[in-house]
Amino acid sequence: MYIPEADFEYLIRTLSDARSRATELAVSIGSRLGTEHRLTELASTAASNIENMLRDIRTAAAEKPESAIGLADLQHAVQEIHFPVPPTASFAAAAGLDTEHWLSTFVDQLLAQARTSGAITFEGVERLLQQRKDEFLRDFLTARRMYRTYPRLFPEIAEPTRTI
Amino acid sequence: MNIYPGEFNDITRRANELLSDTSDVPRVLRGCFGEQHDLTLAGHQMVESIETLVRELRSFDASAEPTVTDTYQNPY
Repeated sequence: MYIPEADFEYLIRTLSDARSRATELAVSIGSRLGTEHRLTELASTAASNIENMLRDIRTAAAEKPESAIGLADLQHAVQEIHFPVPPTASFAAAAGLDTEHWLSTFVDQLLAQARTSGAITFEGVERLLQQRKDEFLRDFLTARRMYRTYPRLFPEIAEPTRTI
Repeated sequence: MNIYPGEFNDITRRANELLSDTSDVPRVLRGCFGEQHDLTLAGHQMVESIETLVRELRSFDASAEPTVTDTYQNPY
């Protein structure tokens, strides 16, 4: 079965974007109605379905026959950026960022990925950035839930008008 | 819990856009893998879950709207 590379690219791009937007919707609804509300569950289910779909499509794209190489593959190859010499200076130090800043972690992961695979692709960068964004949204949702459940653990936030 | 009228307008609009932007996915999957392929069926299920979300959001948003009454006051 021949499946055009362009179709895979369209599906991955569309689903990747949809996953991000569905996750944001779930967070928005959950923050207003609570995580137990039916609408929040529906939004989470939709986001989960999109996530599963995207994973399956990526798997199918990775398993496609080698003979299906076409123009899109050549364009993809042209988009690859090679790093023949790994940078030695720390990105965080050079950019004046805290070592725990998400951008610093992102760049470190990206460079590690480049050293492993020998190249960086737009799709790989996009996927890695999406992972960081999803992690942030999950952490944000957890933090919000903790704050609402245990407000006494966060006195400086719970009582903003308190004077010292 | 206070939900203000129209507060969900923006969320409903975003969900609508999400549905619109993904509605073509099952058709592309059908073209690639065929009608009965697992991925095609999963694509239909994915879009249906977004449709359900949009429908429920519309219903929820509509139920939050206040009853509109004519508040005309005679100036004389």
